[in-house]
Amino acid sequence: MTKEEDTRNEITQLEEALHRTFRRQEAPPDFAEHVFAQVAEQNSLRHAAGDPWWKALSIPVIRWAAITATAASLVIGGIHYRNVPRERARGKAAKQQLMLALRIAGSKLQLAKARVNEINSPQNTNPRKNEEVKD
Amino acid sequence: MKTVPRTILMSVLLLALPRFARAQEMKLPADLESLSAKAKETVDVSMEGPMLRWAAKFLSQEDPDERKAAQLITNLKGIYVRSFEFDHEGGYTSAEVEELRAQFRPPLWTRVVGVRSQHDGDNVDVFFKLEDDQMSGIVIISAEKKELTFVNLVGPIDIDQLADLGGEFGIPKLNAKTLPKSAIKSVAKAEKGDQK
Repeated sequence: MTKEEDTRNEITQLEEALHRTFRRQEAPPDFAEHVFAQVAEQNSLRHAAGDPWWKALSIPVIRWAAITATAASLVIGGIHYRNVPRERARGKAAKQQLMLALRIAGSKLQLAKARVNEINSPQNTNPRKNEEVKD
Repeated sequence: MKTVPRTILMSVLLLALPRFARAQEMKLPADLESLSAKAKETVDVSMEGPMLRWAAKFLSQEDPDERKAAQLITNLKGIYVRSFEFDHEGGYTSAEVEELRAQFRPPLWTRVVGVRSQHDGDNVDVFFKLEDDQMSGIVIISAEKKELTFVNLVGPIDIDQLADLGGEFGIPKLNAKTLPKSAIKSVAKAEKGDQK
C-alpha cells in the first residue's frame, strides 16, 4: 500500500465518522413535554425562593391576620410594660417585709442569747438577782 | 345519691385541714390582736410558701444580709411576726402573754430558753418544734416593758444564721434605707432604748 492510498483511507474514515456524528436523529416522542415540565419546575422553585414574604400580605386573610397579631402584641406588650414597675415595687415591698421579719426574729434570738450568756457568765457580778433562766 | 356530695365535701375539708392548721399554728389571743389599737407601732408580717418564694426573687446576691436571708428561707414554709410597741408600760397583760405561751407545750414543742428578768422586765421564751429529731419550727415570744413580739418561723431553719441577721446583742441590724416608713420610727427608738 502506497502512501497516497493510506492518506485516502484516513480521509474516507474521517468522512464516515463525520457522517455518523451529524446524521439526523428523531427526538423521542415525549421530548417536548419533558423539556416544558423541567422549565415549569425550575420556574416554580425560583418563584418560591425569590418572592419577598410581604407579597403574601396581598392575600386579604393573611393581611388581616397579620394586623390582628401585631395589634395584639402591642396591647400585650403595653400591659406588660405598664405592670413591670408595679410588680417590681410589690416585690421590693415584699422583700422589705421579709427582711424586717427576719431581722426582728434574729434580734429577739440575739436578745435571748445575750441574756442567757449574761446570766451564765462566771464574771457576772449578778446585778440581776431576780433573773431566772429555764433551759 | 345525697351521700356522694357529702363525701366529696368531707374529702375536700380533710385535704384542706392540714394546710389550714399549719397557717393557724400560732393563734394570737383575740385580746392580743386588739393591742394594735393601743400600740404606737405595730409590725405585722405573715408570709407563706409562695409569697416567700416570690419575695426571695427580689433578694440581692450582692448584699451579704440578703444573701443570708435567701439561704435561710430556702426551706421555710411560713414566717409570722407580730410586734407591738407601746408608749407606756402596761400596754399588755401578763395573762395575755401566758395564754400565748401555753400553746407551745411538749411533746410537739420544747422550750429551749426562758428568761424572766424582774430587773429590766425582759422576758424571752424560745420554743423549738422537733419532728424526727429535726427542727421544724421556732417560736420566740419576747415580752419587754413597752414591747411585745411574737415570731413564728415554720420549717427547718439555721438559728445561728438567723441570729446573725439580728445584729449584735439584741440590737437590731436594720438599715433605714431598706425599711418601710412605719418601721423606721420604731427601729430608731429601739436602738435608742438599747443604748441607755
